[in-house]
Amino acid sequence: MKKQTFRVADMFCSNCAMKLESLEDSLDGVKEINASYHKLAMVVEYDESKLTEELIVDAVKRKGYTAVPA
Amino acid sequence: MTYKKQNPSVDPVVIVMLGVLLVAIAIALVAFQPQSNSIDVAADSGALTQLMVAFVTGITTGGLSCLAVQGGLLASSLAHQIEQDYLARPAPGHLIRHGKKIKVAPEIPRASSAIPILLFLAAKLIAYTLLGALLGWLGSFLTLSPLTRALLMVAIGIFMIGNALRMFNVHPIFRYFNIEPPKFITRYIRRTAKGTDTATPIFLGLLTVFIPCGVTQAMMATALGTGSALMGAALMLAFTLGTSPVFFVIAYLTTELGARLEKFFMRFVAVVVLILGFVTLDGGLNLMGSPLSFQNLTRGWFAQPSDSVSVASPSAVDGELLLNVENNGYFPATLKASANKALTLNLVTNDTRSCSRDFIIPALDYYQLLPTTGTVQVTIPAQPAGSKLFFTCSMGMYTGQIVFE
Repeated sequence: MKKQTFRVADMFCSNCAMKLESLEDSLDGVKEINASYHKLAMVVEYDESKLTEELIVDAVKRKGYTAVPA
Repeated sequence: MTYKKQNPSVDPVVIVMLGVLLVAIAIALVAFQPQSNSIDVAADSGALTQLMVAFVTGITTGGLSCLAVQGGLLASSLAHQIEQDYLARPAPGHLIRHGKKIKVAPEIPRASSAIPILLFLAAKLIAYTLLGALLGWLGSFLTLSPLTRALLMVAIGIFMIGNALRMFNVHPIFRYFNIEPPKFITRYIRRTAKGTDTATPIFLGLLTVFIPCGVTQAMMATALGTGSALMGAALMLAFTLGTSPVFFVIAYLTTELGARLEKFFMRFVAVVVLILGFVTLDGGLNLMGSPLSFQNLTRGWFAQPSDSVSVASPSAVDGELLLNVENNGYFPATLKASANKALTLNLVTNDTRSCSRDFIIPALDYYQLLPTTGTVQVTIPAQPAGSKLFFTCSMGMYTGQIVFE
């Protein structure tokens, strides 16, 4: 398992954080996501054998946001 | 990597029809003017104005602001429910699902998609109305004096302005004006949205009180400031009713489109919240009797000759002043009196039902609920030359001053 922090500068409310956390349900290989609007960041704990940073960034993009690995 | 596709297929005709019906009910509710005095809140035009503002805020900014997450929850719930309907109704036609061809009904009955939306909205409406009653009731313990009320209004105004500046992304510090719900609540709500039974949309609607958007939070603060369970409930009911048509529309939009819409309208939302914030802050300053409120600062700029009455006028003889308390304010708004002499202020009401009846002179710590029709006398102690004594209604909406010369 790997823990990676992403900066998501285009979050604009605390509900955005909730939407990003919903990737837990739709993205295979994710164990946990903690997103914070106050910090404009999300911490993703994932299985490296199933998922890559690029795929996470892509999934975040599908939600309408831009994630940059910190 | 796999995605769960969640595209709710809700009939737009049903959505629009029910949306129109809801708007009609909402307009009828806020426009209702009772003939009797049995319900003080409804009879009070100030309260009605507040309800109208809450409804319009809901239908414009509130609905859009809360659109993404709560709309997503509803859409998610509907998607699961509709999927269940497909699988439960074998009929002519077929659908490719997970690589397999399965038989499904050619069309989903309209009622099957409309009912969950109605249940969700009804539950949301009830939950927010009860929350408004609770906040108003809690606020009643804080409204012990006009000063406490003023301080609360100032705090609410600052909260709203802070939220608007957050939406404008002025500075990272303003992000803390948005309250983040605890993670365990957001996770629980998200998982509940996967249910397919009838209770799921009802439960989701109830749970939305835990994930209010910025505008809803501001409205909740306003409900707290009403200091009345009835008014707090009415305020949140009007606001939530206003947001309902938006939820009907987004029921067939995907979550992605919702997010884009929310971003697009965020600037508009921010402007409205900023204006509401300044109006609330100004009301608080008026209640404090502050000369720095917008109304008190600008009173002289747009004053008409008829707006003021001098000591030589018939209404100011023998150390007495006359002030007409009307539904739309105090007339004249500026009274002039002799300095260093005590005087009597006669407050005259004539079928006055607005908040102007709740008469306050902050500097004297004077508060009186005036009769609907009649005259109330207030003794004003001697004031030094050049001083001003501000008076206002209990909501800080209507104001005036006595100038001592």
